[in-house]
Amino acid sequence: MSPASTDGLKRPGQAQAPAIQALGLTAGFGGRDVLQDVSLTLNDGEILCLIGHNGAGKSTLLRVLFGLHRPSAGTLRVFGEQPGQHSPAAMGAAGVALVPEGRGVFPDLTVEEIFGLALWSAGVPKSGQRERVDEVLDVLPRIKEFRTRRAGTLSGGQQQMVSIGRALLTRPRVLLLDEPSIGLAPKLFQDLIRPIAALRESRGMAILLVEQNVREAFAVSDRVLVMRSGKFIFEGAPSELDDHAKLMELF
Amino acid sequence: MLFLQLLLNGLQVGAIYALTAAGFALIFGATKIFHVAHGTAFTIAGYVFLFAWRAGWPGWAGAAAAVLAAMAFGVAMERYVYRPIQRHEGSFFTVFVAAFGVGIVVQNVIGMIAGRGFATVDTPLSFSAEILPDVFVAPMLWISLATAAVLFIALTVFLTRHPAGVGLRALSQNPDLVRTYGLSSNGLSVLAFAIGSALAAPAAIVTVMTTGLNEAIGHQVMLISIAATIVGGIGSLRGAALAGMMLGIAESLALQFVDTQWAEAVSFLVLFGFIIFRPSGIFGVVQTR
Repeated sequence: MSPASTDGLKRPGQAQAPAIQALGLTAGFGGRDVLQDVSLTLNDGEILCLIGHNGAGKSTLLRVLFGLHRPSAGTLRVFGEQPGQHSPAAMGAAGVALVPEGRGVFPDLTVEEIFGLALWSAGVPKSGQRERVDEVLDVLPRIKEFRTRRAGTLSGGQQQMVSIGRALLTRPRVLLLDEPSIGLAPKLFQDLIRPIAALRESRGMAILLVEQNVREAFAVSDRVLVMRSGKFIFEGAPSELDDHAKLMELF
Repeated sequence: MLFLQLLLNGLQVGAIYALTAAGFALIFGATKIFHVAHGTAFTIAGYVFLFAWRAGWPGWAGAAAAVLAAMAFGVAMERYVYRPIQRHEGSFFTVFVAAFGVGIVVQNVIGMIAGRGFATVDTPLSFSAEILPDVFVAPMLWISLATAAVLFIALTVFLTRHPAGVGLRALSQNPDLVRTYGLSSNGLSVLAFAIGSALAAPAAIVTVMTTGLNEAIGHQVMLISIAATIVGGIGSLRGAALAGMMLGIAESLALQFVDTQWAEAVSFLVLFGFIIFRPSGIFGVVQTR
């Protein structure tokens, strides 16, 4: 895929530099490359959906983009700048947040403790914390119902809400979501993803959404990438994959 | 009256065990590192206080130096022994042998510098007074109990109220997720070693001021800490502290029936009892990793 071939839906006021621009990323484990020379552009304010088989390299790509896994080759720019270090802290400072696969919460901590931890790690001073939490509660108001409970006692949907809320507390400009629908009923996933997708409009946030739940994910996405064996094999608008046969062929 | 006397002595020993065990449990809980050299932090802190006292330093300065020395030792172990081993995916046994080896080296170096045998400092705080007929208590008892209580409350507040303390609890549950939150798991690990090792210092100071210490005392302290961590329930800090207190009292009360040299074995009898009848310990928690 050519890195320049990504034009999504340009919006007024969109920054010139893409939210994320990765060139020639190669990464793997124990000598086996899971990502092979992958290039990707995520435009500012865009929702890009990444689909593919289990083991295609989607989660590894997100881990590399968030600085959790060091690529053996390739470069990475966030809003045109190369982060000083390839680390989660540096990516966080550059405005990137990751909502990991599975339940991204600590089961023995309360929701408030989890939020406190996220605000502390983002270096938000005490005086500004209330405002940040209120912002998140505006987007995900149901969290108010279980703020004082331990995350381990919450349902899957509630935990996912907390995990996403935790990431939003850092006011990310780029949100990386790794299969948020796992274990959730389709209706629940819609309720969860729609307010997040709306943030793209209100805050100009770019979202890279890794999903298996194609139908729901396509409904909110501007563009789709299909990954197989560590490479992109398709790029286009979600409508191009409306044809079920084409989707099956790619999978 | 003998019973009351032994109980009071046991409370003092228990306060010492509780503090060291809480330190060990904090380190093990947060980092999952079986820090066998925890007793060495105790020995180092004790000897630093002893040397400072002999050099004529005021007590508070010696105590501060002891705390700093214990913390420096713990942090150095994390940074230069455990982290390199973990980076190369070393096994539990590598960690165990490396830590045990460091303990032996430190023990011998201290033996060379300070000479072998028991050393103690004389202070009016350890002079006993008769508070009831045939019951003698030194101010050190109340100081030890108050210190243990204050430090334990401070630690609990830190772990529940301060984000760094919450971060340590998070680290114990899922180190990988900690990194996803943008936190440094290495930084939190260093913090766990610094605080856990610091908790051994007050216990060491009380020991120097009362029964005295020798260069090999670290092994005993380490064994008691491990026993207390298991009896208290692995993963539970208050369990370790409570079990430490319980083992101290049990050892002391056993003196009614056995000679001093056998008292230590009582802790391990209690440990075996727990392993057989309540393997999850007093506050056993199911690990959710």
